[in-house]
Amino acid sequence: MRKVAIVGQAQVNASDVGKSRERMLFDLCKGFYDGMGITRHDIDTFVLCSNDFAAGHTISNVFEDCPVGAYMKDETKVEADGVMAVTYALARIMSGLYDTALVVGNSQGGSVMRPYLVMDYTMSPTYDRQLGLLNELSSAALQARAYLDAYGLGDEVLDRIAARNLRNAAKNPDAFNGKADATPESVAGSDKLYEPLKQDHCFPFTDGACVLLLAGEEKAKELTDKPVWIRGVGDSLDSYYPERNLARSKSVKLAGERAFKMAGMNDPAGELDLVEVSAKFASQEPIICEGLGLFAEGSASDVAVRGLAEIDGAMPVSPSGGALGAYPLCAGGVTRVAECYKQLTGSAGDLQVADARTALAHGQDGLYLQHNAVMVVSTEEG
Amino acid sequence: MAEKAERSVVEVEVPLDFTYNYRVGQYLERYIKGLGEKKILGVRCSGCSKVTVPPRNFCGACNRVMDEWVEVGPEGTVENYTIGHVKVERGAVEKLDEPRLLAMVKLEGATVPLLAEVKGMAASELENGLRVKAVFKDPVSDSLADLSHFEPVGQEVK
Ligand SMILES: [Zn+2]
Repeated sequence: MRKVAIVGQAQVNASDVGKSRERMLFDLCKGFYDGMGITRHDIDTFVLCSNDFAAGHTISNVFEDCPVGAYMKDETKVEADGVMAVTYALARIMSGLYDTALVVGNSQGGSVMRPYLVMDYTMSPTYDRQLGLLNELSSAALQARAYLDAYGLGDEVLDRIAARNLRNAAKNPDAFNGKADATPESVAGSDKLYEPLKQDHCFPFTDGACVLLLAGEEKAKELTDKPVWIRGVGDSLDSYYPERNLARSKSVKLAGERAFKMAGMNDPAGELDLVEVSAKFASQEPIICEGLGLFAEGSASDVAVRGLAEIDGAMPVSPSGGALGAYPLCAGGVTRVAECYKQLTGSAGDLQVADARTALAHGQDGLYLQHNAVMVVSTEEG
Repeated sequence: MAEKAERSVVEVEVPLDFTYNYRVGQYLERYIKGLGEKKILGVRCSGCSKVTVPPRNFCGACNRVMDEWVEVGPEGTVENYTIGHVKVERGAVEKLDEPRLLAMVKLEGATVPLLAEVKGMAASELENGLRVKAVFKDPVSDSLADLSHFEPVGQEVK
């Protein structure tokens, strides 16, 4: 199979970026081209990633072509989590038809619209939307409670997970919701929402965009001396309905197994140096990590107490601060891959994981972690 | 020179005002009619024996139509819950004066839990394993709201 690498990234995240979506995209992409010393004509195919409901109009990419540089170029869109968009770009390059692909994800849930409404419109119109009981927060709370109760854990473990992410996010120049002095106590003191969730457990409403440049083997080596190779991808779609045990995610497990198989990994927990997961709520982090086989089931408290997920821990989890630092909806998954790229090129600054060579990015969409996508990236060509 | 207050021309409101007239579908229609008779109906999958409430057309695992109708409840057991201190109204989070209790209730005879509101008890007493029973609206309105909420089964029944 043709080898494909990530050769560059750029991102912007803010609670209010202070400009239109199109201007945000133009400034980011033009800056990226200039920084890479290339122009839009060096891009063979564009994979855009945005959401019609988040944009407020159908064909959300209809105004994106000019600002991102895709005018009259080969262009396509993914309306799902960004890890799927990167996967799509990978497949297009692997086809042999293209040497370079630019992935651009974006949304403006911080200043333009209310992100929880997008999830409302995911729900069954004839049942759940009629009853008005289920929403993004209540569903996440039920899943959080299912996890805690399944393993007899106290709510405070969520405070510890959130505090770690918020502290890390404070050191990430690409995140905006960091809190350098976050503690489990400060998180516990934030507003109660649906129990056990509190405000500081939740992803911040974000204006954001993220750009990734992918290239086939020969082109990648021309463009950079630090290519990050995409070694494996996998995804899995669970049922919309909560008929499963919400404390565990079979979909995460299957997505991970598919990616590990493609990457030829026999011992993922031993071979991965870090993971970047899309835990929109602190409670989702252990469910995702346990599904990936990185920690034992129900071990969140032990992981927190022993600091296993810290930057210098045995398995650093979302050293960037993850989705609690910034979460531009479907662009969130592109951001997770970009944060892995930063780590593997040694450009993660104060958040750098020592000797990071292999990493995993996770993206998700839907209620109760319905759809999960996983990507394994490595400095080693394989 | 005195600075003039800048005119604000920053934002414009753009509603998305589609209205969709969805078909409820035969399954939900039959379910709603059942509620009107104070009955909770589910369907069983003849492949894996799973019983879903509300009734669903298809079993994903077996990839087949679910077509064996069964009556479930009206009593059940709380198997998961959350206490809402806020509500999400068209995407906006609003504080509630009184907490709202939501539970996933495993009705007798059902495999899949039903998400419902629980009333008639203190939030601090809501826990997994609690026995609850359905309370129907009277008179009925031929809508999903006919299954109003659940309340704890009285101590004397235990
Ligand atoms: Zn079945």
